[in-house]
Amino acid sequence: MKRTVPLMIVLVGGLLMMIQYFIPHQYSQAVFNSYTEWAPIVGAFALILGVGSLTRVHSHKIRRKVKNWQFSWAVLIPLFAMPFLGIIWPQSLWGGMDEPSIFHFLFMHIQVPIQSTMFSLLAFYIASAAFRAFRAKSALATVLLLAAVIVMLGQVPIGEMFGRWLPETGLWILRYPNLAAKRAIMLGVGFGILATNLKIIFGVERNWLGGAGK
Amino acid sequence: MNIWEKMLNVDRRWIFLAIGVVSIIPFLIGVGMPITTTAEVESIFNFVNELDKNDAMFISFDYAPGTQAENTPMGVAVMRHAFHNNVPVFITSYFPLGHGMAIGALAYVTNPSIPGFYQHVSFEEWEVFRSAGITDKDELVAAWENDGNVLPEGARGWVFEGRDFAMLGYAPLFHLVILGMTASIEAQYPQDVNGNLLNEMPMLLEHKSLREISLALTTAGSSACRAWIVYGREKVGVPIAFGVTAVMATDYFPYIQSGQIIGQMGGLRGAAEYEVLLAQNEITETTDKAFTGMDVQSAAHILIILLIIMGNIAFFAGGFHKKTAVKGRG
Amino acid sequence: MYETIGIWVGAFFTLAIYSFLYKENPVYRLAEHLVVGISLGYTMAITWHVTLMPRLIEPLASGNHWILLVPALLGLLYITRFIPGIAWLSRYPIAFLMGTAMGVGFPLTMKTDVLRQLEAAMIPFYQSGMPWQVVFGNIVLIFGTLAALIYFFFSKPHKGLFFGTGSKIGIWVIMLGFGATFGFTVMGRISLLIGRIQYLLGDWLHIIE
Repeated sequence: MKRTVPLMIVLVGGLLMMIQYFIPHQYSQAVFNSYTEWAPIVGAFALILGVGSLTRVHSHKIRRKVKNWQFSWAVLIPLFAMPFLGIIWPQSLWGGMDEPSIFHFLFMHIQVPIQSTMFSLLAFYIASAAFRAFRAKSALATVLLLAAVIVMLGQVPIGEMFGRWLPETGLWILRYPNLAAKRAIMLGVGFGILATNLKIIFGVERNWLGGAGK
Repeated sequence: MNIWEKMLNVDRRWIFLAIGVVSIIPFLIGVGMPITTTAEVESIFNFVNELDKNDAMFISFDYAPGTQAENTPMGVAVMRHAFHNNVPVFITSYFPLGHGMAIGALAYVTNPSIPGFYQHVSFEEWEVFRSAGITDKDELVAAWENDGNVLPEGARGWVFEGRDFAMLGYAPLFHLVILGMTASIEAQYPQDVNGNLLNEMPMLLEHKSLREISLALTTAGSSACRAWIVYGREKVGVPIAFGVTAVMATDYFPYIQSGQIIGQMGGLRGAAEYEVLLAQNEITETTDKAFTGMDVQSAAHILIILLIIMGNIAFFAGGFHKKTAVKGRG
Repeated sequence: MYETIGIWVGAFFTLAIYSFLYKENPVYRLAEHLVVGISLGYTMAITWHVTLMPRLIEPLASGNHWILLVPALLGLLYITRFIPGIAWLSRYPIAFLMGTAMGVGFPLTMKTDVLRQLEAAMIPFYQSGMPWQVVFGNIVLIFGTLAALIYFFFSKPHKGLFFGTGSKIGIWVIMLGFGATFGFTVMGRISLLIGRIQYLLGDWLHIIE
C-alpha cells in the first residue's frame, strides 16, 4: 500500500497516457479528456505542501526565537492575509468602487517591485564578475570572450556605428555555431528526459517516493 | 601591492556605482539610436499582420514579475498589433504570478492615460448587442457607436471582452492545460477571470480548441515556453512564436531553424524591434519602453566591455596569469 | 491617489532592495521575507478563483458532477504529508500526476527535442543563389552539431581522427555558443535594471516619459 500502489499508479498512468497517444480511439480520447480536466484540480491541491512547509518552518523559527525570527512574521502575515483579502474580503483601500482591491495593491505595488528589483541586482553582479573573472587565459577562453563581445555589441544600436559587419557577425554566430552547440545540448537533454521518463514509469527511479514511511 | 593588484582589488561598489550611473544618464539625454530589425522578429510581425477578425491567437504571460522588464513589452506590443487587426486574443498564464502580469499588460494597453490605448468594453456592457446576435466586430462597432458611444480622444479602437479578448489567466499544471485545450478550450477554462462563461463568448464559439487557433505567442522567463511546442505544436500543429528573456534566447535558435517556432523576440532588443515595426507600419504612433531602454543597453554594454578589457589588462600586465590566485572581493 | 501611494510604496521597496548593494540591512531583509509570503498567498487566492471555484466547487454545487470528487479527494491526500503515520498517502496524488505526465510527455518530447532536431540537422549545404556566409554557416551547423555531440559522448576516449578531432572541433563550437549566451545574459541582466530605472525615473519621479 505504501510503496507498491504508488508505483503501480505511476506504471499504469504512464503506459495509459503513452498508449492514448499512439491509439487515438474515441475511448482513449475520452479517458485523456477526463484526465486533462482532473489533473489541474489535483495539481491545485499541491499548494498544500508549499503552504504547510512554509508555515511549519517559520512558525518553528518564531516559537524557538531563532536569529532574525521577527522577519518570519513578514512571511506568515501576508501568506494568510493575501487569500483572506483575495477571497473573503476583497475590499479596496478606501472602499471606492473604481479602485482596485488591497489584494491587487499588495501584489502590484509590493510583490512586483520587490521581485523585479531583486532580479535586476544581477546587472550589478554580472558587471563585477565581468571585471574580475572574465579572462582570456587560453585560446578557448579567448574565443568565448570574443564571441560574447561581438554578440553584445551586435545586439545594441551603438554596435551599428562600427559597421553592419558587427551585428551581422553577431547574428551569424547566433544562427550557426551557437545553434549547433545548443542543438547538441538539446539532443542530450532530450534523451536524458526520455530516459528519466521511462525510469520513473517502470519504477527504476524511486526518489520521488521520498521518506514518508517505508 | 602594485597598481594592477590595487585595480583588481577595487571595492566592487565602485563598479556598482558605475553601472548605476551609466544606466541613468542615457535616459536623461534621450538619444534614440535607430534599431535594425531582424528576420526572427519580422517573421512574427508579418505572421500577426496577416491575421484578421476571423482568426484567433493566444498570448501567454509565462513569467513572474522578476523578468517583467523584458517580457511585458513583448506581450504589450503583440497585443496592440492583434487589437489593431481585430484578432481575438485569449490571454493565459503558466504561473500564478504571471496571472497578475497578464492583467497588468491588458490594463496597460487599455489605459486611457496612455496615448494609443484601446477602449475596453466589458462583457456585461455589450450584452444587449450580443443577445441581438451582433457579434461580428465591424457590425458590433457600428451598432455600438450608433447607440451613442463615442470613441474617446487618443483611443485607437474599441476592444470588446469576449469578442476581442478573453482573460483566461493561470491554471495549475499548465502544460496539461495546453494539452487539454487541443481538445477544448472551454473544458479547461469554463470561465474567464471575471467569472464570465466562455461558452457565451463569440470568440470561443468560433474557436473552440487549439486546432482552430492561428498563433500562440508565449512570453516567458523560463523554459515554460517549451510547453507550447511540446504540448501544443507537436500535438495539433498550432504555430508558436517565442518572446523570451535574453538569457534563454540563444537556447531556442534550434527551434527557429527547425520551423517549430515561427520566430523569436529575444530580450529587450526583440521587444524593441517589434515596437519599431509597429511604429513603422503606423500601428502605433510611437515606440514604447523597450525602444527607449535600448540607449541604456548600448551604454551599459560598452561599460561592461571596457570592464572586461581593463580586468584583462590588469590581470596580464600584473603577471597574475603566472600566479595561482588573486585576492578579490566578489 | 491609489496609484500615487502604490508607486511610492513600490519605489520604497525598490530602494530597499538596492540598499543591499551597499550593505545587508533589516529593510532589505523585510522586503525579502515579504515577497515570499505575498507570492504564495497570491497563488492561493488565484488558484481558488481560477481553478477550484470554476472547475470543482461550482460544478459540484450544481449537483451534476459528483465524479469530480475523485480528483478532489485525491488532491486532499496531500494534507496527509503533515500527519505522521499516514504521510505515505500523499504519494498517491504525486504518483497520479507524475506517472501520467511522464507518459504524456514521452512521445511529444521525443518529437520536439529529438526527431525534429535530427530532421532539421539534415539540410543541404548549398542551394542555388545561397550567399557564401549561409553556405559556410550550414557547414558549421551540420558538422558543428556532430562535433559537439561527439564532445558530449563520454563512452569512448576522445582519441583518433573521429573522436579526437571531432571533440576538439566540438569544444570550439560549444565555446562560441557559450560566448553568445554570455553576451545575451549580460543583455538580459541590464534590461532588468533598465526596467527599474524606468520605474524610478518615470513612474515615480516623472523625470522621463
